[in-house]
Amino acid sequence: MDTPAPAAHLTPPAAPFRHLTALWVQVTGTYCNLQCVHCINASGPRDPWLAPMDAEAVRGWVNEAAGLGVREIYFTGGEPFLHPEMLPLLEHALARAPTTVLTNGTLIDEPMADRLAALAVRARYSLELRVSLDDPDRERNDAIRGRGAFERALRAIRRLEARGLLPILTATEVESAPAGDGLYDRLRRLLLDAGVSRPRVKILPLFPVGRVAGHGGGMVTAEMLERIDPARLQCSDSRAVAAGGVYVCPILSGLPQARMHASSLAATLTPAPLSHPACLVCWRTGASCRNG
Amino acid sequence: MVEWGAPTPPSVRHAPAQPGRSSTSRFVQGSERGVYTLTESRPFRRIAVFGGVYSNAHALAATLADARGRDVDAVFCLGDLGAFGPHPDRVFPLLHDAGVRVIQGNYDQAIGLGHPDCGCGYTDPRDNHFARLSYAYTLSRTSTENRHRMAALPGHRRLTLGESRALLCHGSPRAISEFLWESTTPDGMVRRLLDHAEAELILCTHSGIKWHRRLVDGRHLVNVGVIGRPENDGTTRVWYTLLTAEPGRDLEVEFVPVAYDHETLAREMEAEALPPEFVQTVRTGWWTTCLEVLPARERARGRF
Repeated sequence: MDTPAPAAHLTPPAAPFRHLTALWVQVTGTYCNLQCVHCINASGPRDPWLAPMDAEAVRGWVNEAAGLGVREIYFTGGEPFLHPEMLPLLEHALARAPTTVLTNGTLIDEPMADRLAALAVRARYSLELRVSLDDPDRERNDAIRGRGAFERALRAIRRLEARGLLPILTATEVESAPAGDGLYDRLRRLLLDAGVSRPRVKILPLFPVGRVAGHGGGMVTAEMLERIDPARLQCSDSRAVAAGGVYVCPILSGLPQARMHASSLAATLTPAPLSHPACLVCWRTGASCRNG
Repeated sequence: MVEWGAPTPPSVRHAPAQPGRSSTSRFVQGSERGVYTLTESRPFRRIAVFGGVYSNAHALAATLADARGRDVDAVFCLGDLGAFGPHPDRVFPLLHDAGVRVIQGNYDQAIGLGHPDCGCGYTDPRDNHFARLSYAYTLSRTSTENRHRMAALPGHRRLTLGESRALLCHGSPRAISEFLWESTTPDGMVRRLLDHAEAELILCTHSGIKWHRRLVDGRHLVNVGVIGRPENDGTTRVWYTLLTAEPGRDLEVEFVPVAYDHETLAREMEAEALPPEFVQTVRTGWWTTCLEVLPARERARGRF
């Protein structure tokens, strides 16, 4: 009897790569001053499993991305403002492409808000700030993000809005919260009630990775991939860099199985296999970590 | 000499150019279905270009009248004939009679092919609410004949302006619904788009706010703006673009403001029971809906 060929459905399919739209920079690795229960990369204040990035390496990646025609740069972590050179790195990036910082807002005090506003005014391209807050209810939010996180995030949003920076509140649909229908409107109402006249809200799904790894089952198969527009998958137009090299997307940044190259971004602009259960969330929801 | 009323000259059809796309999937993206490029057969010296008519026949008539007095060789429309305004069929005879060369916008593609929505990709439920109202109205009020016209429009046009090779598209050369805003379109990306397009000039619209970038190498990208609604600057005027190529001189790009009878448009929209938020935009010049797609810098310039 012949040995059966490996089943096609066991080979992860790959989405075609189109062009580099977004470069994600995990600037502080997994170093954070919060320890949220749903964190996709299990960031926290102690013993980060992924080291913060060297500033010179960050500049190198941003320069390479700009040369490749990248549309936008994102700084994430961990908490990006824990990086000692965050503001110079932000200025460097903003001279080359529109740049977004994903922050928990805890370090945006009045002087920092002033510095960011000054940076935004003199920057060639648009600066966006995304402040994370997961639930319009203070108690439920702090149960997810830690005591005091709600108040500090809301204060940061107010400070940025007062300076015309129009931050985007970013929430994750956490299972324990009454999410889904209405979350957007409730967050919008929260901002309006807090005096934020131009509320901006982005909602992300929960990804089964990091602290909630194992909470979602299944993989994307080749047959499933053929049923959607692969252009809606962010692995078709985005890459992430962290200590260790280039990774397929911001959700899987830092994971050894998602690493594509140690030193070249250009070498990673190729189809990448959808080999993680988190890929199923992108396939199902069409979610993008980008602002739009 | 202006070719008002003249039929579009014989042009060359090219297969759709989709740089960087492979076809490993059975999914066929809407923008790839039937997309083709028309190449103009003779060079131009001065052209007028506008986008986003949005069923605003009053602004269209005023724009065409203005361009008529400016010695242009041809007039181009970069798509989105419907949406937002009233009576979508009214713009077609104006475009036809003036010999305007039109390309397909995402709205034309969606209405022409009967898509379930406009393809703008909003995630904000409020934006989606207004987008759905506008789309349902436009779809139900556009004649079958005009829907067929929209479906048959070219996705891109190529022409020569002076010595520059120009690519005309709706959103961006690579995606019909990609928004190119001034504050979020870096030079490196513009360079890459021009390289792929094999052009010295890209003309686009879709976002609703005009801007012009001249790279240090002398190539250009121009978002020509829209004439269907004001550009979120607190005035009721709309904008189109004049491009002039004189021998031995750099390309001249001039944005032209157009005043039109916006009050009549507002009353027609009210009579058609279109959302008061849309009418407010026509009367005040401030955008009230579909704000989600604006980058922080452009959003901060508006009132809402």
